[in-house]
Amino acid sequence: MGDCRETLDKLYEYLDRELSDEELVEVQQHLDDCPPCRDRFHFEQNVLRAVRRCCRDVSAPPSLVEKVRKICSQ
Amino acid sequence: MRSPVMTAFSVDLSSKGHSLVTENGRHPEPVRDSLQQEALSHIDSLYRTAVRMTRNPVDAEDLVQETYLRAFRSIDRFTPGTNLRAWLFKIMTNAFINEYRKRTRQPRNTSLDDVEEYYVYSHLIDSGFQPESRGPEEEVLAGITDDNVVVALESLSDEFRQVVLLADVEGFAYREIADILDIPIGTVMSRLHRARRRLQRMLVGSYVDVRHAGEASHG
Repeated sequence: MGDCRETLDKLYEYLDRELSDEELVEVQQHLDDCPPCRDRFHFEQNVLRAVRRCCRDVSAPPSLVEKVRKICSQ
Repeated sequence: MRSPVMTAFSVDLSSKGHSLVTENGRHPEPVRDSLQQEALSHIDSLYRTAVRMTRNPVDAEDLVQETYLRAFRSIDRFTPGTNLRAWLFKIMTNAFINEYRKRTRQPRNTSLDDVEEYYVYSHLIDSGFQPESRGPEEEVLAGITDDNVVVALESLSDEFRQVVLLADVEGFAYREIADILDIPIGTVMSRLHRARRRLQRMLVGSYVDVRHAGEASHG
């Protein structure tokens, strides 16, 4: 099991699913055994989710879609 | 790991793309049609990123139109089977930097190092935040409204905002972001790391400040 510092260094790569399988197992094992790190990761993940939730709630206006369709058919 | 990404957006039609190109260098009509249809399916994704990049719905519409104009004009240089969505984002990023910034003459905040950075979480713990009870965390997160997120995002520099939008909102992998922004993957990671810390400080830091202020007034 890696230590807290090593795990923290991989926090974002873990949340972004960018770790290799081997690193993923190491981080996961540490999180299973270390409640403070688990809480930390959970917190960071929730902040990122809040950002995603807010920004994804926007769609292109129908008038823009229409204009782009015209560009496409030209 | 996310699935490996095709990095060639590519102009190289000599190998795998060759059979899909007619003698005049154009994709056959059915290929063009299908690429255009697929490109149209990404309009919401491009628009919401454009809104956050330009900070303005009218400019965002212009930017998206410009992106599609450029994309359709150069669609024959796109290699079918590679990453069309990332290719469109690359075109939009270039249009934003080259056209939009020039036209609006908005001051571009290029300073990436002007604010002290720290992990907000450590300060939350110091200020009495107790994650194990679950209550305060929900309190902190519930305090993050959509308006707060928009204000915090829009106060980031272009460089920071771009990586957050591409990674956290659009879900692009580091490799794809590196290709879209034409920067090394290490730069993507460090920029993303710093951008998130700054964003978090703006979103959650007020909670820490309020707690400190409360403690000070009672102390």
